[in-house]
Amino acid sequence: MRILNKIALGAAVAVLAIGAAQAQDKTIKIGTEGAYPPFNNLTSDGKLVGFDIDIANALCEEMKAKCEFVTSDWDGIIPALQAGKFDAIIASMSITDERKEKVDFSGKYYNTPSVIAVPKDSTVTEVSKEALAGKTIGVATSTTHYNYAEKTFTDSTIKGYPSSQEFQLDLANGRLDAAEDDIVVMSTWLDTADGACCKLLGQPEPQPVEIFGPGAGIAVRKGDPLAGEFTAAIKAIRANGKYKEINDKYFKFDVYGAE
Amino acid sequence: MQSYWTLLSWGPEGWLDDIAHGVFITVSLALCTLPFGMALGFLIALAKQSQEPLLRTAGNIYTTIFRGMPELLTLFLIFFGVQLGLQALVQYFIPGATVNVNSFLAGMVALGFVFSSYASEVFLSAFRAIPRGQYEGGYSIGLPYGKTMRLVILPQLIRIALPGLSNLWLILLKDTALVSAIGLNDILRQAYTASRVTKQSFLFFGVACLIYLILAIISSYGIGRIEKLVGKQEGAR
Repeated sequence: MRILNKIALGAAVAVLAIGAAQAQDKTIKIGTEGAYPPFNNLTSDGKLVGFDIDIANALCEEMKAKCEFVTSDWDGIIPALQAGKFDAIIASMSITDERKEKVDFSGKYYNTPSVIAVPKDSTVTEVSKEALAGKTIGVATSTTHYNYAEKTFTDSTIKGYPSSQEFQLDLANGRLDAAEDDIVVMSTWLDTADGACCKLLGQPEPQPVEIFGPGAGIAVRKGDPLAGEFTAAIKAIRANGKYKEINDKYFKFDVYGAE
Repeated sequence: MQSYWTLLSWGPEGWLDDIAHGVFITVSLALCTLPFGMALGFLIALAKQSQEPLLRTAGNIYTTIFRGMPELLTLFLIFFGVQLGLQALVQYFIPGATVNVNSFLAGMVALGFVFSSYASEVFLSAFRAIPRGQYEGGYSIGLPYGKTMRLVILPQLIRIALPGLSNLWLILLKDTALVSAIGLNDILRQAYTASRVTKQSFLFFGVACLIYLILAIISSYGIGRIEKLVGKQEGAR
């Protein structure tokens, strides 16, 4: 029996790391994917960098907590949160109704707007239904951008493409008058040699939540009060300029979207 | 755009050191699982051919479960399910405590369970290939059961089971790729991260392919050596 006890004890020590850290020095374990540049990715020297990571650190500082990052595969990230591998997911996770059944979300910490790009020599000067009337607009199908364009630019021809790559090519070789996509995807492409043909025209306004969704939030376990704390911390760093500082490090535009 | 050689260099600029670390994880996981899985598989084979019907049934249920379930599901059950179970148990005694099942250990246990259920069948068929006369010969010269097993049966058993076991080893080596799903940075996950960050999917998945191939070639060479070794023993006797 004694030997059995020893084995059981040894196994318990090997398997478990029992921590009863609470209250004073709060440690929050944050799960992220580590393969989604420029938001969160591991660099070739093994560091975690990106917008999500900087925001997470700023939020933890605001909440007076210590943050530890854990990388997890995207497919297993919600199960890992539920199993307690970490306490929050900060990994550019879009707030959706389907996910809300499994986890709680903080308020959004960013919501990249949809934008319209046109060839550099285009005569279109503003984003509106009238200015784009009669033009052909390329959008990737089954995206929020497509749903929006179909509803909004009713006087234009909306041409659906399977993915962004295809309409980018058609915009570059002149088959399209304009294209609509997420600002991060669009501006990344505009910065490449292929995207040199074209320029950002602007954001269509307003961008309704019913179509575009609320944006990316921080996921926590159901009923965890951390969600509210994160929401408050996001508001605080928006107010004290910390958010803008991080935003400007990565993007030329405000990724927070509408207030 | 960085050149391929920079991307594949060793050091802070390139990804080779990260992928090498992935190779280390993959190989060490497979090597740690092997003895555990083999020993467990052997014991289950013994149980399945024992006189005790209860043991036989238990052995058969075990193989049915772990051969029947997808490996990924086994892995998730152990990594997430066991964690949830332990958490509930520990929090019953110490409220607020957190439990963490180590992902390497979870991978090892899950792959070991799967490996052992297949290995038990290999051992079982090897046992059946050894004629009863071999046991009787051992007993007739006064060897007890344990010694008969170790000196007479095992050497023959290994020789017969080796081709089947080497198959299982190669399967195990590739199955380790599943642990990338529970956050272990094995070859596949490192290649995936590198490809997402650098947008060079073909390059990095190609490299991962090559590494698995090289590992398989090294394994076949090693297995060939072991086969020769076992064969020699036979000849010398």
